[in-house]
Amino acid sequence: MTAQASRVDALSSPELSVKLFLKDGSKIDVEELVPVFHRWIREDLLEDELPIDVAGYAHVPKGPGTVIICDHAHYYLDERAGRYGLRYRGRRVARGSGEEAVVRAFRSVLRAASLLEKEPELGGRYKFETGRVEFGITDRIAAPSRQETLAAVRPALEAALKTVYGKPAKSLALASGAREPFLVAIEAGTAPSVDALLEQLTAAVR
Amino acid sequence: MTGGEMKGPTWASELGESIPEVLGREIDIFETQMELRRRGEVDEKLFAETRLRRGVYGQRYDNGHRYDGERNRQLAYREHPTKGVDTVWDAPGMVRIKVPYGAMTREQMDVLAALAEDYADGISHVTTRQDIQLHFVHIEDTPDLMRRLAAVGFTTREACGNSVRNITACPLAGVCKTEAFDVSPYAEAAYRFLLGHPDVQDFGRKFKPAFSGCAHEACGLVNMHDGGWIAKTRMENGKVRRGFAFYVGGGLGAIPHPAQLVDEFVTEEEMLPLMQAVSRVFARLGEKDNRGRARIKFLVAKLGIEEFRRLVFEERAKLPHDPRWTSYIPTVADFKETPVKSGAPLAPATNGEHSAAFRAWYKTNVLPQRQAGYAVVTIKLPLGDITSDQMRSLADIAGEYTGDTVRLTVEQNMVMRWVREADLPRLHGALEAIDLAEAGAEGISDLTSCPGTDTCKLGIASSRGLTGELRKQVMELDLASEPALEGLRIKSSGCFNSCGQHHIADLGFYGISRKKGNRLVPHFQVVLGGKWLENGGSFGLATLAIPSKNIPEVVRRVTSRFVKERSADESFTDFIDRLGKAEVKGFLQDLTEVPPFEQDPSFYSDWGDPRVYTMDDYGEGECAGEIVPLVEFGLQASEREVFEAQLFFDADDYNQAKDMAYRAMLTAAKALVKTEFLDITDDADHIVREFRARFHDTKRFHDKFAGAKFANYLFVAHEVGGNGGRQDQAKQRVQEAQLFIEAAYACYERMSTKEATA
Repeated sequence: MTAQASRVDALSSPELSVKLFLKDGSKIDVEELVPVFHRWIREDLLEDELPIDVAGYAHVPKGPGTVIICDHAHYYLDERAGRYGLRYRGRRVARGSGEEAVVRAFRSVLRAASLLEKEPELGGRYKFETGRVEFGITDRIAAPSRQETLAAVRPALEAALKTVYGKPAKSLALASGAREPFLVAIEAGTAPSVDALLEQLTAAVR
Repeated sequence: MTGGEMKGPTWASELGESIPEVLGREIDIFETQMELRRRGEVDEKLFAETRLRRGVYGQRYDNGHRYDGERNRQLAYREHPTKGVDTVWDAPGMVRIKVPYGAMTREQMDVLAALAEDYADGISHVTTRQDIQLHFVHIEDTPDLMRRLAAVGFTTREACGNSVRNITACPLAGVCKTEAFDVSPYAEAAYRFLLGHPDVQDFGRKFKPAFSGCAHEACGLVNMHDGGWIAKTRMENGKVRRGFAFYVGGGLGAIPHPAQLVDEFVTEEEMLPLMQAVSRVFARLGEKDNRGRARIKFLVAKLGIEEFRRLVFEERAKLPHDPRWTSYIPTVADFKETPVKSGAPLAPATNGEHSAAFRAWYKTNVLPQRQAGYAVVTIKLPLGDITSDQMRSLADIAGEYTGDTVRLTVEQNMVMRWVREADLPRLHGALEAIDLAEAGAEGISDLTSCPGTDTCKLGIASSRGLTGELRKQVMELDLASEPALEGLRIKSSGCFNSCGQHHIADLGFYGISRKKGNRLVPHFQVVLGGKWLENGGSFGLATLAIPSKNIPEVVRRVTSRFVKERSADESFTDFIDRLGKAEVKGFLQDLTEVPPFEQDPSFYSDWGDPRVYTMDDYGEGECAGEIVPLVEFGLQASEREVFEAQLFFDADDYNQAKDMAYRAMLTAAKALVKTEFLDITDDADHIVREFRARFHDTKRFHDKFAGAKFANYLFVAHEVGGNGGRQDQAKQRVQEAQLFIEAAYACYERMSTKEATA
């Protein structure tokens, strides 16, 4: 990858992702999400999305888990790297650029997480941790997995995190190897509930 | 891009010269075809077949409708032209990547891992024909996806559509104890020779070839392929001569056909020309209208093998010589994998016994190679799925233990060849760390399934859902621990088309639907006693249709009865033969019962899909592709070239514009010539000479009012060449090319009308 890549605004890529990890002790079986996600599609519960289908990968260890495939994004309850979490993965159409796009990605994952936490069929067993999240850009041209990319996106990412959390993030660190998609481990320094965070975010961008 | 913005790098610019020029050009052409289709300047059927021949396939719900469990809903995609009949442009689809004879390097594995997470859902799916499929891919991403593949020597070309599909081969080729010789270099040569070959562009349906190293094992499955080659040797003048038993016309599908012998010994020198001759006979005489009877097996059945054989050898005698038929043969001996370590036997564990997990894995997943001190390790992939993280890690593991020796198998697994036996415990540990050390390869817990209703438009029942459930139950019941059962194979297809190869499984299932009252119920037809050995030697016995939810009970009953009642060393195939269809039906009959919906609604939904079952999502399959006459591809190519000429003109590159416009006329002329002279070359003089004799001198190309005017545009351009790049000259040439192509279409239309009238 050439140095030119860092001149491109990586955050203008539509391929932003945010993963909220499940709290330790959350008891889950990704297969149980298949009927839940099908119902979400039927009841149009995912705002601003055009859901297409549910893909089930319960048979794949540490895999994509259960996925809602949408036109503009995918939502995974995955087990990548052995950690369960809800991952929003933008596809195709950029929703704003820079700080605004990051904030939108967070809002999308928080909305879905809130739905899961309140999902009657899951009996409150899904609880998300908001203090440590993973942010990514799955675009190896715009955002190769290296420190330079982190340096390039850091200002906008930090500004977005301030909007999301209401205060500056404690730390950002590159969390992916050179052959993987670019990932940043974020320590927010605060861990409000999903709904509280969603509320504060909605108020901040109103 | 405005002047102030910095244009970023693209995959084309990043990969640069690592993309072979020919492949790069083909991908650019596909991208232009996409643009022309977006503008509505290419017919949707023609674009669909073009797309399919680039490996870009449709997927369930791409007609813009989906049943949500209560009602059929329209998916509100943005408005665009379609990418095929009733196929929405923005709907995600599947991309099939050809992996010739299943062989992958570490670099290729790395790229596959990246593509799966960049463009799909993070999963690479191994098919029963040693391809890799990526699902939920958007067509807009496909040119870059293809470029990244091309940079590591992979292609999606002709992975779908009516052409020669991936060339499969025994994954043990070169290391197997029973093979006559390593078929890998021959499969490689056939792949290179046939890819994009003009003689494989006009088939009525697809053609699947396979190579096998011996007649007795299953690995190549030659008996169920359109064309199959089994390695053989014979002594001639005191020297070992290599050749193949050549079979044709095998296939599964709704009605399985065993392949028939064309020639019991085709020399290595004759392998490619004979394949070319078969292609020509199939293209010329194969069914084009009725797609259900267009595979070569129907042509062989119609003509009889003797007449088919006669036609093939007659065609062979007429073929113009091609040096590529034999040019690879001197390099066959150089075709070898280089292991990273020297061979060494497995030593006893240093501190006692090996672990139970290792012993179980060693028993089922490790096969000693022909070469002393080495083994082949089978990596069992559940339902053929592997994550990108696993694929990358596996590439690293291969780097440490074996080098570039990984191959895909037709049982949706991977093998690592050239593992030093002494390394097996450490390798097992490394595979365990990435969850790829499950024991039971190629046995009852290693089930095969096509995608079925998960993603396939033709799927009737959820073969993957069923297979996932059976896999769980087989493991919970520990059926693999019963010696009589451990080697049985279970294979499921979502419909009668047999992509899951259910006909050659011990226990095979394929999806069907049945009505109960006014509701549909997913069912599977039970097919018992197929033969995996002898290259898929015989087909199973279709017994009866059982509701999907009762299939696990079928497996329990059948396996239990086999364990109890089989005679010593009786195979499952023989056991089912002995029982007979009536007896099998008798002891499964009660399982055909479907309770009323009100009593048990679970019967009315499928495995892995809680929606009330429907056939509303069943779509028009793309397996059969679109029947597009060869001439239309040529005319489409000429249109694309004239479009590119216009782009050169707009970019003030008048020299290139003129040259491209001239080439567009040549392409259109060649397309017409080809309708009656298959061996027309790419030589401009040859094309113009033939076009003049066949279309100009006969006045067939003449316009009713303008006479020879349009033909003369080509002749003049051919004479004066492309030199001199004045703007007005270039503009005139581009306009003339457009008119010439219009005249070519008109000529083709007159020819078609005349043919239809005749």
